[in-house]
This record gives sequence, C-alpha cells and structure tokens, in this order.
Amino acid sequence: MNTDIQKVRNIGISAHIDSGKTTLTERILFMTRRIHRIHEVRGKDGVGATMDSMELEKERGITIASAATYCQWGDHEVNIIDTPGHVDFTIEVERALRVLDGAILVLCAVGGVQSQSITVDQQMKRYRVPCIAFVNKCDRSGADPFRVITQLREKLHHNAVALQIPIGQEAGFEGVIDLISMKAVYFDGDYGDAVRIEAIPADLLDLAREKRDILIDAATMFSDELTEAVLEETEITERLLMSAVRTGTLKREITPVLMGSAYKNKGIQTLLDAVTHFLPSPMDVSNIAMDIDDPEKQIILSGKADDPLVALAFKLEDGHYGQLSYIRLYQGMLKKGDVAVNMRNRQKIKVGRIVRMHADQMEDVERISAGYIGAFFGIDCSSGDTFAAPGLNLSMTSMFVPEPVISLAIKPVNLQSEKNMAKALSRFTKEDPTFRAFTNEETNETIISGMGELHLEIYLERMKREYQSDIISGEPRVAYRETISARSEFDYTHKKQTGGSGQYGRISGYLEPAPDQDFIFENKVTGGSIPTQFIPACEKGFKACLEKGPYMKYPVTGIKVVINDGASHTVDSSDIAFQAAARGSFQQGYVKASPILLEPIMKVVVETPGEFQGNVMGSMNQRRGIIIGAHDVGYTTVIEARVPLAEMFGYATVLRSLTQGKAQFTMEFDAYKQVPKSVLDKLREKEEKKAKTGS
Amino acid sequence: MIKKQLILKDPLKFLNSSETQAAATGSFGAVIARPGIGKTAFLVQMALRAMLTDKKVLHVSVQDPVDKVNLWYIELFQKLTASFPADQQAGLWEELLTRRFIMTFEIESFGFEKLQHRVTELKTQNVFVPDMIIIDGLAIDAAIYPKLHRLKSFAGENAINFWFSVGRHAREAFDVLDVADEFGDEFSAIFDQILGMVPEKTRILVKQYTTGQTNAKERTVVGLDPSTMLVQEENSLSPE
Repeated sequence: MNTDIQKVRNIGISAHIDSGKTTLTERILFMTRRIHRIHEVRGKDGVGATMDSMELEKERGITIASAATYCQWGDHEVNIIDTPGHVDFTIEVERALRVLDGAILVLCAVGGVQSQSITVDQQMKRYRVPCIAFVNKCDRSGADPFRVITQLREKLHHNAVALQIPIGQEAGFEGVIDLISMKAVYFDGDYGDAVRIEAIPADLLDLAREKRDILIDAATMFSDELTEAVLEETEITERLLMSAVRTGTLKREITPVLMGSAYKNKGIQTLLDAVTHFLPSPMDVSNIAMDIDDPEKQIILSGKADDPLVALAFKLEDGHYGQLSYIRLYQGMLKKGDVAVNMRNRQKIKVGRIVRMHADQMEDVERISAGYIGAFFGIDCSSGDTFAAPGLNLSMTSMFVPEPVISLAIKPVNLQSEKNMAKALSRFTKEDPTFRAFTNEETNETIISGMGELHLEIYLERMKREYQSDIISGEPRVAYRETISARSEFDYTHKKQTGGSGQYGRISGYLEPAPDQDFIFENKVTGGSIPTQFIPACEKGFKACLEKGPYMKYPVTGIKVVINDGASHTVDSSDIAFQAAARGSFQQGYVKASPILLEPIMKVVVETPGEFQGNVMGSMNQRRGIIIGAHDVGYTTVIEARVPLAEMFGYATVLRSLTQGKAQFTMEFDAYKQVPKSVLDKLREKEEKKAKTGS
Repeated sequence: MIKKQLILKDPLKFLNSSETQAAATGSFGAVIARPGIGKTAFLVQMALRAMLTDKKVLHVSVQDPVDKVNLWYIELFQKLTASFPADQQAGLWEELLTRRFIMTFEIESFGFEKLQHRVTELKTQNVFVPDMIIIDGLAIDAAIYPKLHRLKSFAGENAINFWFSVGRHAREAFDVLDVADEFGDEFSAIFDQILGMVPEKTRILVKQYTTGQTNAKERTVVGLDPSTMLVQEENSLSPE
C-alpha cells in the first residue's frame, strides 16, 4: 500500500446514461494492470464489464451500485468509485460524491451536456468536488469536442478549457495533442496500450497554438509566476502551466477538458496522467464533521493518520462472508482488532477483517489510514453511519435523503420466497435509504417504496435473481399525502364508564396548517386543566392519527396542533384516556379544517429531436403537466415540465413510441401539490370500488 | 381577491387605454433601452399583468436559459405580491403558471419561421395558445425588418400581440432617446407601440413615443425602481 498520502486519489466517474463511463472504468483498470482482459458492457463474450458486478447490471447494460476499486498509476494510487448514471439512483451518486476528493465528468462527444449531466454537476457543486472533464466517444460520427466545451461553459457554467485537441475526426480519430507539452500522442497496439509520442502534425500546429494560448490565458488567473512569464515572454514551462491549472481545478474555478474514446482505447493513459496531476489528494481537501450535540458547530478534520479515527460507511454489500461495509477514512487509522464506535447508536465495534475491493474480488490488508477507502466485514451498520474513535462526538455531515414517492405492494408466492424476501428487504433498506419496506397492517401486504418506477423494478428483479424469491407485485401506487387548508377548533371529551375503572379526558384547542413541516405540537394549557403528566399522552394520541388521515386514509403532513384547555378526573383520567381524547379531538377538528389531498409532482426533463417536440409537449399536456419551457439546442429540444407522478407510469414506453425511440427523459421529485377536484373525484371512486371488491 | 387588487393597482393600465391602440390584437410593441437597464424585468411584469387578466403569454428568450427566465418571473411575482398572505400567493402562482410558456433558443438556432412553426404546433396539439408573445434578447435592426413584416401578418392572423426588447448601443446618449433618429422610419412603421427606458439620476423613466406624425411626441408613462425592478406609477417614484 502506498503510504504517501499526497499520491492518493479518490475519484469518481460521473456521467449521463450511455456516455460510456463503465467502459471507461474498465479501460482504466486494464491500463493499470488491475485486469488482464477487457469485457464490454454489452459484450459478446457474456462476461460484462468488471465493475458491473451484479448480474442484473450486466443484462441491462447499466450500472446500479457503485463498486469501489483501486488501482495504481505510476507511483500514484487511484481509488475509483463507479457511480450509477440513472436519476432513480441519485442517492448512490450523492453518497459516492461525499467520499470522493475529485471526479471525472464523462461527456459524450456527440450528445454533449445532457440533462443528467446537469443533475450530476449540481451534486458535485453541493459537495464541492473538483473535477476534470473527459469528452468520450470522439471516434463517433457527429463528434465535436469543442461544442461540448462550449456547452460546459454555457450550460454548466464551468470555466472549461481544453488540455488537448483531437488528431483526426470521427472515424479517423487517432490520438490527441497535449497542449501542455505540445506533443502529439498516439495510442498503438490492439488495446491502445503502446503510447507513441511524436511532434505535432504540421496541419494541426496552428490550431494547437491557438488553443494553447486560450489555456495559458485561463491558467494565468491562478499563478502570478505564469502571468509574469507570459508578460515577459519567457519560456512557459510544463511544470509552471500544470501547477497553475491544478490550482484552478482544486478551487473549482477551471475545468480541464481531456479527450478520447474509451471504446477504441484512446486517451486513457493521458486521462490517468491528468487525474494524478490535477485532481486533489486527500490532503488537498478539507473535510468537515458535525458535532453531534451541536449540529451548528463544524469541525474541520485534520486528515492526519495519527489523530483519532473518523470514518464514514458509505456503502454496504452482502458478500459471501456476510455484510461488507465500504468505508472512507477522513482521519486516523483503522487496524485489525481496533475498537471504534458507531456514532449513530453508540455501539462499540471490534474490527475484524479489513479488505480493499476490486469490483467483486478483494484483498486482505492489515490497516487503512486517513484518506483511503476500504471495507470491513461482519460489522452491523447502515449506509451513512460514522465510525469514530471512543471519546469523539462527531458525525460526518448528514446526507440529504429525499422521501420516497412511489410504492408497490408485493407478495411472495411461497414460504421459501417469503424468507428470502425478508432477507433481501432488510439488506436493501440498509443499503439504500431511499428504498423503504413496511407491512400494511390492515391488508397484511408488504409495501416497498422508492424514488421511481425503475428504482423499484430493479429491486424486484434483484430479489428474484440474487435471493431466488418469487414475488407477485401489484400496481405501483403514488404516495399521496393529506393535509388541512384552514384553521379549526376542537373540544372533545372522552368518557367511558362501563364497569371497572372509567376513562375520562377532555381536550380543547385548534388545528392549523403548517406548510413545509410534518407535525408540530404546542402545549398552551395553563392552570393545570390538563395535568402535566398527561400532556405527552395527548401528543402521542395526536401523532398516532397522522399515519392515516380521516380524509382519504393517507398519511397526514403539514399540521400544527395547539391544545389550550381541557379537563381531567382524579380517578378516571389516565394516559390511555387522554390518548383516546386526542384521537377524538383530531377527528373532530380535522373534518372542519378543509382537508385536501396532496400528490407528488415530478420535474420531468425530456430531450427530443426538434421534429418530435410537438408530440412530446402534447403528451405532457395530456398528463396534467405544466410545461415550464422548451429550450432549443441545435437539432434537439429540451422540454422541462412539472407532471404529477400518478400520470407518469409507463411514460418511458409512450415516449419511445412517440419519438421512434429518439428521445430520453429524466424525472425527479419536485414538490407536493394539491390534487385537483376532478382527479380527486375519480380517485375516490376508484378507492370506493376497491374497498367494495376488497371486502 | 388578490388578483382583483393587483389588477386594480396595475401601473401598466395605460397600455389598455383606448388612446393607444395597444390592446388591438396582432400589434407589435417595442421596449427600447440600453443593456442592463431592465428591459427583461419590465417585459416580465408586462407578461405577469397580462396573465392576471387571463391572457396566455409565450416568453421567447434567445439569451437566457429557461431556468433563468423562470427566476425572473418568480422574483418579480414575489415582489409584486409581497403584501399578501403566503397561501394566496402560492395559489395565484399555480394559476398563473398555466398561462405561461417559456421557449428559449440558442441564438444561432433561432428563426422567425421556426418560431411560427412552433407556435402553430403548440396550437394544433392544443398545448398552448398564446395571446401575447414576448421576444427578448434578439438584435432588432434593419436587416430583419422584412422578416418582422411577415411575422406581423402571422400575428394578425393568429390574434397575438408581440412585444420585443430592443437594445441600444452603448455609444448612444445615455438619457436621451430619439426613436426616429436611432432606428429610422421603418421601425416606427412596424411597431405600433414604442416604449423607451431612460435612466434619470437614481430612477428609470419609461416613456411612450408616439410616432407616425410629423413631429414625434414623447411622454413619461411609468417609472421603474432600480432597487426592486418593479414598475411604479410615475408620481410614486421617489423624487430627487
């Protein structure tokens, strides 16, 4: 293991679907001799790319779980997190970004900056991850790396600067010209592994000089020494230029752009060089932890190996030998036999086996120190748990977890499947905080919920394949919520005197809307009309009502309960009596408070060739969508709309047939909005019908 | 209620008065100002006012992306309705959203034929039938006058009012605007309604230019407060 932390790079590879990032990862592993054969993502040999370790990913040609792997390039150690590109798995992208120090943003030379790249870029911004861009697929017809650079500047507002220019275009793409060393780089051999460096071809010399000037111009912002050299017209050394670009990249004020074609094995080595030159080592970035007792207080971690341990478990996997937890160390060192504390539940754990991962193969190590990524075995934890040395009271900044918007009822076909399903669900929910599972007590159904149709579909298939659990699933259901839209008063007395000890409790107060909040309880009772010891029982009673609203039996949100008076009885009042009184009060107040139903609205972005934009907009319109706008870029139109999730089921198929498969769309949760009257009536009708047939 | 109040205190009411025939469908209007004075803010408020009276507005921008245009609307709407309760605000915003459509183009891919095609398509798909189209960020000069003439007949056939933002060159005098001198007679022939935004000390005056007659007339109609970008009655502007 490399012990010089300056020579470690923890990087991620983020990109739009199908811009070839798994292929790129595969090539990087090949070039760094981590693997000895190349398997295509959708290859004919049926082995699939090494990083796509799950069978399902191989079949669909997409990457779901971000496997971590490490490799060596020169004297540098590079840890790569392969991140999923589909928006339904955004939580995994976010989690991966949290543990990275730098990233490669892969863009397609033909497609350029697409909607998904924008989402990924926003996430990188949130975690301040410095990045370099790699324009892939330069060999494809229609490839134009410079257009992609313009888009990086205009759409993502990156100060993108080319470090290379392509030699040959489209099918004639042969290699790149390095603008820093001003040399042509060719990639020979079957796998492009023989790098040949030559002088720049005469016909490209002018272009190279022009682009180099742009590069120098951008880099002077970050180095006085370089500015001086430019002004005094002395020689600009490679070292000088590189260090200026590096400074800019680390500040996220410059984005170096490299070019190549992963599929054709071109530009991989130069990209790896750029990773080691320009992306930060763990020492170059400061990581912030939170004081658990005072979340406002931020603590900057030292990143030193001899300080107390702080580590984050960012991904879990079920290996052959039990649960495998991927961790990133921010400070300190983790050795076999060490004791650490899981800060979530304050449980002490003893570290057994420590390993480093290479997709699904692993190697045992004695220790990992600050800045490194590794994994340990047999420790029960969830994704996002912080491990720290005993005595510390820190947590890594909590990660943003969106609420699930769609749910599905599932049923195992036999007993064996039921057992396996339980195992699968317990693992998936630990791994992915946006995936939830629970049992509906009334219908006894198991309900799973998540961030989109595809999200749930993938999990269903994984249950089948990895856990041999045969499952019947129901129709996907939208996670409706209910809330109130007006203030209303209640005054309810719960009284029961049918033998034995009686029950008595009276509560009065009011309900009012509390937008953007789940539930607020306020006690304004004065003079002890409700004895203090019964107040928690009141709150509990109100809270219990939130699970199922009296209006349409959906969870209640955005409500404030204030109690200001009541009455009690010295003998008959009890916790149970006041809980019952609270439930009665809630029912009484709720119906008067103009309850409304809310539905999740999704932000939908469709990219379509211009000729189909009318059809696409029509389809949004039919789905109760509000089109925010349409943006024309060359031949494509990007349409942005807000559409209720309930109307988006099966949209992928509809879109495909509308546009001859030439359009693609992404969807993410935007907000909860009131369901319009006409839709509400239909929904009610449906529920009533179901209730009748169900009973 | 919020709607009624907003309509009532609309400083842009003058545009609908019978004196100026701006309300006539198929007319062309121009808002002239130097860059940075607030053409977009003014046009967005014009759009918001139209949307309040149930008109549908298509906002075409050839300079800003959809999100940025949307932000203009959100910000100005919030400022306009700041004195009303949040739930009323939110309700009205949801209502207004259905009457707005933002279409943005990269400058090189914009064309009037394309725009006409898009508008027709929106109409046939029954997605959006605009009453007013705002075109922001396009360079208006003599070269495109013939195209504007053709667009105007399209506007007439479809009963759509067009408003254009028209940039001035920085070299022109800062606080004086002579429409005929700067843009020529044909400009006045194309645009039925010409407004100019001229900074005067710490405020911005919006002047209406009546052309077509021998001697051009101008009068100050409203003002724009540079700190909020909101349109105000001229007399309510902070005096010097």
